[in-house]
Amino acid sequence: MKLSQQAKTVFERVKDSEQIRYEALEDQGFDQSMIARAGKELEGKGLVEIIVDEEVAYTLTKKGKTVMREGSPEFRLVEILEDGPKTFSEINIPADIAVGKAREKDWIEIDDGEIHLTEQGNFVDEDEVLQQLKNEEFGPDLVDRGLIERITETAKTLKLTEKGKQVKLGNIEEQFNVSAEASMPQIGRKHFYKEVIDYARDQWREMGFEEMQGDFVVSSFLNFDALYTPQDHPARELHDTFFMDRPGEADISKFVDSGNDRVEHVRQTHENGWTTGSTGWGYDWSRDEAKRNVLRTHTTSVSAQKLSELDEKDLPAKFFTVSRNFRNETVDRTHLAEFYQTDGIVVGEDLSFKNLKGYLTKFFEKMGYDEVRLIPSYYPYTEMSVEIQVYDDEEDEWMGLGGAGMFRPEVVKPLIGKEVSVLAWGLGVGRIAAGAAGIEDIRELYRNDKKLLEKTPTWRPE
Amino acid sequence: MAHIEINKNEFEELIGTGIKDQQLEEEASYLGVHWNHVEGVKWDVEVYPNRPDLLSVEGLARAYSRFFGEETGLKEYDVGKGSFTLEIDESVKDVRPEIGAAVVRNVELDERAINGLIQLQEKIHETMGRRRDKLAIGLHDLSELSEPFTYRAVQPEKVSFTPLEYDREMDLGEIVDEHEKGQEYAWILEEDEKYPIIEDSQGKVLSFPPIINNQLTEVDSGTTDIFIDVTGKDRETVEKALNILSAAIADRGGKLETVEVNEITLPDLSPEETSIKLEYLNSVSGLNLSMDEAIELLEEMGYGAEKNDGSIDVEVPAYRTDVMHDYDLIEDVVIAYGYNDVEPEIPEIAQIGEENENEQFSKVLREALIGAGALETHTFTLSSTEKLFDNMEIDERPHASMSNALTEDYQVVRSWMTPSLMEVLRENRHHSYPQSFFEVGEVAEMPSGENKKKLSFVTAGDMDYNDARKILQVLENALGLKLVLEKDYFEYGKKKRSATIKYDGQELGWICEFNNSVTENWGLDVEVAGFEIDIEKLKEFH
Repeated sequence: MKLSQQAKTVFERVKDSEQIRYEALEDQGFDQSMIARAGKELEGKGLVEIIVDEEVAYTLTKKGKTVMREGSPEFRLVEILEDGPKTFSEINIPADIAVGKAREKDWIEIDDGEIHLTEQGNFVDEDEVLQQLKNEEFGPDLVDRGLIERITETAKTLKLTEKGKQVKLGNIEEQFNVSAEASMPQIGRKHFYKEVIDYARDQWREMGFEEMQGDFVVSSFLNFDALYTPQDHPARELHDTFFMDRPGEADISKFVDSGNDRVEHVRQTHENGWTTGSTGWGYDWSRDEAKRNVLRTHTTSVSAQKLSELDEKDLPAKFFTVSRNFRNETVDRTHLAEFYQTDGIVVGEDLSFKNLKGYLTKFFEKMGYDEVRLIPSYYPYTEMSVEIQVYDDEEDEWMGLGGAGMFRPEVVKPLIGKEVSVLAWGLGVGRIAAGAAGIEDIRELYRNDKKLLEKTPTWRPE
Repeated sequence: MAHIEINKNEFEELIGTGIKDQQLEEEASYLGVHWNHVEGVKWDVEVYPNRPDLLSVEGLARAYSRFFGEETGLKEYDVGKGSFTLEIDESVKDVRPEIGAAVVRNVELDERAINGLIQLQEKIHETMGRRRDKLAIGLHDLSELSEPFTYRAVQPEKVSFTPLEYDREMDLGEIVDEHEKGQEYAWILEEDEKYPIIEDSQGKVLSFPPIINNQLTEVDSGTTDIFIDVTGKDRETVEKALNILSAAIADRGGKLETVEVNEITLPDLSPEETSIKLEYLNSVSGLNLSMDEAIELLEEMGYGAEKNDGSIDVEVPAYRTDVMHDYDLIEDVVIAYGYNDVEPEIPEIAQIGEENENEQFSKVLREALIGAGALETHTFTLSSTEKLFDNMEIDERPHASMSNALTEDYQVVRSWMTPSLMEVLRENRHHSYPQSFFEVGEVAEMPSGENKKKLSFVTAGDMDYNDARKILQVLENALGLKLVLEKDYFEYGKKKRSATIKYDGQELGWICEFNNSVTENWGLDVEVAGFEIDIEKLKEFH
């Protein structure tokens, strides 16, 4: 009988112990895909049988651990209500889950803002949920409640057949297969997303840009006010922006120099336009609102920071960053709470929209997109606000990759102290990375599956 | 961005010419408005918040008849002198001080047009109106009313009327408590003891702004004369909204008439006058336009424009809310010129590109670790106290946290890197061992919450302290320095197999073989060792 070298080696191991799990073979240093191929080959020759088992494991979640420690919220609620009805504010446990669950079970009623035990509730004397967790009776309702997590893993085992038992190793002729895949060595490698990021960083540097960096936790002043975003702008509402609990307030006095009180100038610009030639937004600007810390929602706050540090004698100058930003979103396959953006600014006299288009076109050309178009858009801080779209050959469609514009004088003058032109942009890079790795679910960009890290081709522009 | 639904036939009727679907799909967005075909004549149109004047089919037709069509220049509106007066009583001063009003007569409204007006009203409420807080609009059938009108604030229980959608009289307090709109917008009046109303000379209530109108004045297809009221907190916003509404209804063929509001005559649809230097326009846009070309482009965008030496005198339509600066005019000129017809040009700025120092230093470390066989990871910065502290068996330490996070997993910004890598090990439980991962990433450091760059390395399988120690040695070699490791105790490390990493007396980080309680918390049944270093401090010694 003829077998490939790999199949023969695996067969030796199976013969040693009659049956062996794929996992055990992996632990002995065999590569997963190699084991799979060898198994198929041996099965084809009738030497082994492949047994597939589904293994289900359960682990307690954080919520589950809390229940183990303190009991289920609904049972605790019943205990609290035993000495009589209570209002919501009198219950010192998180009320929403406790009340919801207890109501579902008909243990309580709510009447005129007070929570009463029902007749049934009066008879509850055992915390069933806690007991189930303790006895490891893991039913689907506990999974649904998020108390436990169910993990299914398939385990495969190679089992020697009668024929396999009879075949002697000495009678097997080894077939050397030059094209057989070898096992994967342990390797070190750059993350595929960082490849894209580093590549983009290289492109800006080649174009003569200096790298700038900034903090994630910034004042609303930097993230919004300095960028001429009015304080009642919808973007500043809770659902888009992460507001900080700690550190809750920023020291914005650092934006005040002897020669330039940027905070005061921003206030006046919002209220009446200051000396920028603008009418301003016309409302009463609040310093307290400006002090509130947020997680930056765009790297444009890094550009604003840089503008506030610039001296007239430094001009003209070009800066870039490729960094993270944050949006208070529910995470799913197309939304993340963190994302990358590359921001750039070119600051100087006599710069025009034509030049903005020049830099954008060049950058995307370097990133492998030859066709770029600009669509009118709107941002409070730019005029000639544009959305940049590139033509994606593979998808055969135009793809939006960010925004750009010229910073309004209402942004520039308070920060630098005089009116100069500032070309600015904030471009997405996540879609390029996801495309490079063939990822549909963008959470994969941050999951770090070992196989994906090892196998994703290194990105280079097409 | 606000979305409105548009009937293309209606749009074409107002423009007075047919427009191909393809033109709407491909070219309409170059005005900064996005058209998406839904089905048949139904289109979904997205309008940016700076252009509330485009939130109606009338506004769009006005803009596109110039952008696509033959029309050009400022659209002028005749406002006849009306007989109506509206008196603002002192009592509204602390409640909702501003009101504007206009009358439109001889309007022919079919159901489609009424729905369009309601849509415009609702969209302006949502955008400019900040959900009716900043402004609220009412449209009324004039036929049942008699002048003069009064705008005043009253005790909620003193005034009653039959609100829209109800068939019985309710007092203002009841409306706020029971009516659907009352409940939705009660927050705006939360701090007020008195509520505003508009009433006619007979004491008939037209409206209880910003909540609801009286059923008596409901506009329907029989309505020919309309009274528009806009109430709010800011004079300018109120007048702009009134202008947008008045212009839209007048575009339907209605005849506008003024209302005297405390001796101010409204609506004022006369354009605002400004001027722009041609040289400035050309230098910001980068276009080399002649005076005539610039004037023509401004007119295409609905402005009045006339040469005045080297400048252009510009008349800005009264319904435009977004023209604050010359830059706004320049944008419109470039939009009319066509963003895609602008030739890109890179200016000559002599500057040498430069990498951030921390990034440059990180690169040395990253390359050394990759060479040593570790996979680089890329993890979230946002985390939870469970991951950062509980799972690592340490007491809570100072960390940056958010007040309004939607998800339990993202409540705080990480204060150290290693928990992120532990999570990577957990995600890779089903893969074979050994596994080695590292990441150079940012953490937020208290008390200021500022970013710090840290490096963490973990190795898992049949691993011990030495497997982490030897990788640290690889870094020492790459940097050409010898770190000092001092035996130490911390909760997540095994006793006698934990050390503080120091250099020149300064603490840079730690190295250890992790306690089994920690690995168990992360669902790992292998041995794990690793280290974490503050690379900004390390860089100082390099």
